[in-house]
Amino acid sequence: MGGRAGFFEVEILDWETKKQLCFLDKVEPNATIREIRLMFHKLYPRWYPARQSIKLDPKGKSLRDEEILQHLPVGTTATLYFKDLGPQIGWTTVFLIEYTGPLFIYFVFYFRMTFVYGLDERFTSSPHPVVNLACICHSFHYIKRLIETVFVHRFSRGTMPLRNIVKNCLYYWGFAAWLAYYINHPLYTPPSYGKKQINFAVIMFLLCEAGNFSIHVALSDLRRNGSKTCKIPYPTKNPFTWLFFFVSCPNYTYEVGTWISFTIMTQCVPVGLFTLLCFIQMTVWAKDKHCTYLREFKDYPSHRMPIIPFLL
Amino acid sequence: MAAAGSGGSRADNGYGGQQARRRRGPGALATGYLVIYNVVMTAGWLVIAVGLVRAYLAKGSYHSLYYSIEKPLKFFQTGALLEILHCALGIVPSSVVLTAFQVMSRVFLTWAVTHSVKEVQSEDSVLLFVVAWTITEIIRYSFYTFSLLNHLPYLIKWARYTLFIVLYPMGVSGELLTIYAALPFVRQSGLYSISLPNKYNFSFDYYTFLILVMISYIPIFPQLYFHMLHQRRKVLSHTEEHKKSE
Repeated sequence: MGGRAGFFEVEILDWETKKQLCFLDKVEPNATIREIRLMFHKLYPRWYPARQSIKLDPKGKSLRDEEILQHLPVGTTATLYFKDLGPQIGWTTVFLIEYTGPLFIYFVFYFRMTFVYGLDERFTSSPHPVVNLACICHSFHYIKRLIETVFVHRFSRGTMPLRNIVKNCLYYWGFAAWLAYYINHPLYTPPSYGKKQINFAVIMFLLCEAGNFSIHVALSDLRRNGSKTCKIPYPTKNPFTWLFFFVSCPNYTYEVGTWISFTIMTQCVPVGLFTLLCFIQMTVWAKDKHCTYLREFKDYPSHRMPIIPFLL
Repeated sequence: MAAAGSGGSRADNGYGGQQARRRRGPGALATGYLVIYNVVMTAGWLVIAVGLVRAYLAKGSYHSLYYSIEKPLKFFQTGALLEILHCALGIVPSSVVLTAFQVMSRVFLTWAVTHSVKEVQSEDSVLLFVVAWTITEIIRYSFYTFSLLNHLPYLIKWARYTLFIVLYPMGVSGELLTIYAALPFVRQSGLYSISLPNKYNFSFDYYTFLILVMISYIPIFPQLYFHMLHQRRKVLSHTEEHKKSE
């Protein structure tokens, strides 16, 4: 039965077969789930902590590392369930791979490498300045993302399943190739409204990139002390962050704005389609985040919308 | 409560397959609507079946029968789009994405291939898939109708989970042969294709697209087929046990 002298006992069962995978006795009551994961890892070396989903209920949510054993609704003999999440990969690594791909893939088309547009067109360059501008903007966008990944972002969860990276890369790299193909094509047609359209697009692009960067910095500052807890983001002195008055996820708003400006700049249907898909995906993420905020904070500003002020 | 559960699930290619997942089920109004829907669809495909037989008897040959059932085929196959709505509304316990995929592939073949490329309408491959679809749909919709009324005759259940063994490959062959037959005409006429340069900087080659569609059958068909064989074993053996325990 129970523990001796205040110690807990922890048994860990497989979530599907309910087979007992391990039994830990003499566990400190104030042990964290992180420590239990480490103990489990010692017994099963191939299941490193990031792969372990430890839960109270076989079909329930995974317990966070910071949870403390004695604060959980368990007796002194705790029964926990284990699920293997599969090989994991760190978010930083994922982002680096996802964003480096489009950067270089675009160059393959911009410089018209041999096999892309045929032997006659190889290594030629476009007569249209907007094509050069598009390459600069596209590259700037992904270099900015890479810099943010290394220096700015603080991720709340360390890893994601390995198979996600294949899916994500196919998506980002595939689209980058598809839109780069048309923008850098020898038969590319520049925008119908000429310089006016391009200049407008460039200004919108720069504003949105600045906005997106400001939001990322602001969000990162909320986690400055290495805390993993969620705090409500508020507008700061930076005017770009004033969008926080109206939306929960202005970073996504600015991101969609960036891609809309790129569509206007290049007047290219594949770019437009990519923008549409980005918008849909980010709306889903924004709604999710918005719901999380609403759930966790009773005093969350009620007039804020997830991604588009007043609308969505 | 009949084990068949509510509405109908469409986790197959319409050639017979997965048992409806047990769920709370639709309300009385939704059930009434679904019964009417499934009865109408059963009747519709029976009309197509009868039309085929009559045309065959009148002409004396099985060639070019498409023209005699063209309109009801288009109407009732397109009507199946409602099933996507049923899933989205939750009155049918199926995945919206899966149902959408299956219905859209049928609608694609009906309109974007057979209707659009007039030259293939006299091909025998069209008859192949039309017959496969007709038999499958009659059985499938009557299966759903009886399930909703909680009175499913074993014969219908057996038919649904057995005839696909022949009908599915038959239908797929008809579909692939029809797409293949359409290719040269698409190439020639540039149907649904747009090429550079144009001010939207976009190009689309329907010919290549059709070839990609044909290639996509290679991974998809075996998966669905073996899934249905697996379902068959599960459903029909479950019924056998039920019978034995009575």
